[in-house]
Amino acid sequence: MSLNMDRENTAFTFKGGMLPMTVMELSSADPEEIRAQLVSKISQSPAFFQHTPVVLSVEKLDEPHLALERLCAVCRAHKLLPVAVRGGADGVKQSAWALGLGWFPPTEERARTVESVPAVVPAEPAVDIAVPGGGRVYRGTVRSGQQVSAPDGDLVVVGAVNAGAEILAAGSIHVYGPLRGRALAGIHGDTDVGVFCNELNAELLSISGNYKRLEDIDPALLGRAIQVYLNNDHLYIEAL
Amino acid sequence: MAKIIVVTSGKGGVGKTTSAAAIATGLALRGNKTIVIDFDVGLRNLDLIMGCERRVVYDLVNVIQGEATLNQATIRDKRTENLYILPASQTRDKDALTPEGVERILSELKEEFDFIICDSPAGIERGAQLAMYYADEAIVVTNPEVSSVRDSDRILGLLSSKTRRAEQGNDPVREHLLITRYNPERVDHGDMLNLDDITEILSIKLIGLIPESEAVLRASNQGVPVTHDNSSDAGQAYADTVSRLLGEEVTLRFHQAQKKGFLSRIFGGRR
Ligand SMILES: Nc1ncnc2c1ncn2[C@@H]1O[C@H](COP(=O)(O)OP(=O)(O)OP(=O)(O)O)[C@@H](O)[C@H]1O
Ligand SMILES: [Mg+2]
Repeated sequence: MSLNMDRENTAFTFKGGMLPMTVMELSSADPEEIRAQLVSKISQSPAFFQHTPVVLSVEKLDEPHLALERLCAVCRAHKLLPVAVRGGADGVKQSAWALGLGWFPPTEERARTVESVPAVVPAEPAVDIAVPGGGRVYRGTVRSGQQVSAPDGDLVVVGAVNAGAEILAAGSIHVYGPLRGRALAGIHGDTDVGVFCNELNAELLSISGNYKRLEDIDPALLGRAIQVYLNNDHLYIEAL
Repeated sequence: MAKIIVVTSGKGGVGKTTSAAAIATGLALRGNKTIVIDFDVGLRNLDLIMGCERRVVYDLVNVIQGEATLNQATIRDKRTENLYILPASQTRDKDALTPEGVERILSELKEEFDFIICDSPAGIERGAQLAMYYADEAIVVTNPEVSSVRDSDRILGLLSSKTRRAEQGNDPVREHLLITRYNPERVDHGDMLNLDDITEILSIKLIGLIPESEAVLRASNQGVPVTHDNSSDAGQAYADTVSRLLGEEVTLRFHQAQKKGFLSRIFGGRR
């Protein structure tokens, strides 16, 4: 056995990834209250609760002692999978680690006020059509704070995706209009999908977790019609 | 039955209260029985801009909590017939506003008025959401800067999902864009977003454009809504806005930089 690790033999590689993640912003620390609300939420949208990973945000709480273990148990009992905790005092951080959860520092002041209202508001389009094969056609402007997703197929937006909006698809994303927000294609790991738009000004482009921020995009491509594709884990943006 | 119009923006300090006061005044001057309600509990200043701060006895929260009747709390404007003000509380907690309380007040007022103008607090929290919840129409106040446009976009998203009309699947809230503090010279210099950029991003109908104007400052210090100053640019721009709100076609003014004439070059100033 050799200690020399050549590339063939690596067991894994680390990669930067950007996955859509649900933040559960707690406004109560009482596990029973949370349980009650979860029960009513499940009856409204059962599809959401399928071992969905969530980040428990305790930023809004002013409680030095949290029954973190019980909170996690309540979540798991309702098919939510806590993967990390955000915010809270040092004690919260320690108990998160003790429970095998990650810990994130609290978000900065401004982001906090914006998120205290539903983190994302599902957009209400003028026309919204499910197409065969799990895709979705959305006509209208996707606005800041709104999220439109096609969790099972391609997403077509006929209209603008404004800054601060987020669109997601298991398949490809087509925007017939300016793309100024975040576009994440291949959210379940499909690497053969693409992002296409009429006018590129995106805050973030991602295919299967490989992403580019606005800052990383060649300024010469801004404002143009483009396609984005993945090749050997590298994201390419090309004028159309 | 009254039309309920919310004046909202997301971002603070863009001119909501100024606009709510000016538009309510304009509607009343045109013969519509109008009431303007301050939803900014804790930071009330509509009464200052309307010049009635010394006549406030009861407020919105008193009415909601049953400590006063609507009649006791509404203040009749001294200058303008048909115009009434329902002030906010300076001292109460924001949570004193409840959806049921607001609904009860609005439905009572609806019988009696032609227009109910709701001056929303800044932000997208409870207070702002309550101010918009029962609205039939919304005036989204936007300054020509990126952060203001972004916040207006966010508010438009909420208008299409977090209002009673949206929740009950009725006709959507009618959305109007009101651009305020527009300074054509600075727009030409590229310091501010221009009219077309703003309307392109927000893609809703423009109801008016109010120039940056000293008349506004003067008006608010005197407690007289700027609509009364009908020789000023801002006063005229608000009057145009009111006409459009009433369904008239009015050509847009004040969006182009003035070519300075000989006299104004010598004496300065534009008005
Ligand atoms: N067209 C204008 N020209 C010059 N100054 C203006 C104009 N419109 C508003 N202002 C000034 O901007 C400031 C904020 O206005 P106003 O109080 O109406 O904003 P607001 O949106 O109600 O603020 P808040 O979010 O705090 O309630 C005031 O000082 C006002 O005089
Ligand atoms: Mg105000």
